[in-house]
Amino acid sequence: MKTMDKETLIAQLKEIVKPYAKDQDALQNINEHTDFVKDLKINSANLVDVILDVEEQFNIVIDNEAMEHMLNVKSAMEIIEAKLGGQ
Amino acid sequence: MIGNDIVDLRLACQESNWQRKGYLGKIFTAAEQEMICQASEPSDMVWLLWSCKEAAYKIVNRVTNVRIYNPVKFDCTLLQQNGHAVTGRILHESKSYAFISNRQDSCIHTVAVAHEIFFDRLDIYTGSSWPIHLFDECALMKNQDGVPYMMNCYNNSPVPVSISHHGEYYGLVRRKTQL
Repeated sequence: MKTMDKETLIAQLKEIVKPYAKDQDALQNINEHTDFVKDLKINSANLVDVILDVEEQFNIVIDNEAMEHMLNVKSAMEIIEAKLGGQ
Repeated sequence: MIGNDIVDLRLACQESNWQRKGYLGKIFTAAEQEMICQASEPSDMVWLLWSCKEAAYKIVNRVTNVRIYNPVKFDCTLLQQNGHAVTGRILHESKSYAFISNRQDSCIHTVAVAHEIFFDRLDIYTGSSWPIHLFDECALMKNQDGVPYMMNCYNNSPVPVSISHHGEYYGLVRRKTQL
């Protein structure tokens, strides 16, 4: 499958994290280097929601090993692309 | 090594829907999910176990300086309940940590240490305001990795501290200072 356009993927992630992000400025400036916890100030109990939302939206399963790294946009993009590419 | 975590139960109820499909399975072991199902207040059990995992994670993170997100790997066992206090153990990669968790008003405050003998050597603060009185003779500092400690203004000795904040509540734990 063709690699998804980076910008599109970041825009989709932005929509997913929107309800949980406490720093709206950081959300507006979301990019590959944005950290979910340090920058967006997402509560760690809500990271599970981000992971479940990503699973639902992309129809993938994120196992515990992949979940360990779901702390920033870059890792999330890599995980999504790897799972989609492996299908 | 110390770690602590505080949960404002009212805010947690607004922020998180733990009954969402798939939620518990991402965070809790099968045994922990069973404890939640059997609890008289399942929601309180969710946040008690969650705060244990977070408190132990803070210890591990202090030691390894590596950030990971894998709550299932922190395996909690409750050992004793005395009124509003619960004690138990958290197992993580063959290392065991002891915890004590206190329920106060609508918050759960959990402190984890390497061994239960250290419980007597800790100052634990739980409250709805920042404990400014604890900083009379100390300054709060962070090392280059962002790990906090308190520096005594008189003898310049650093005291390890762990701080948490959620909603209306603040939690702080530090090693007792020797006078």
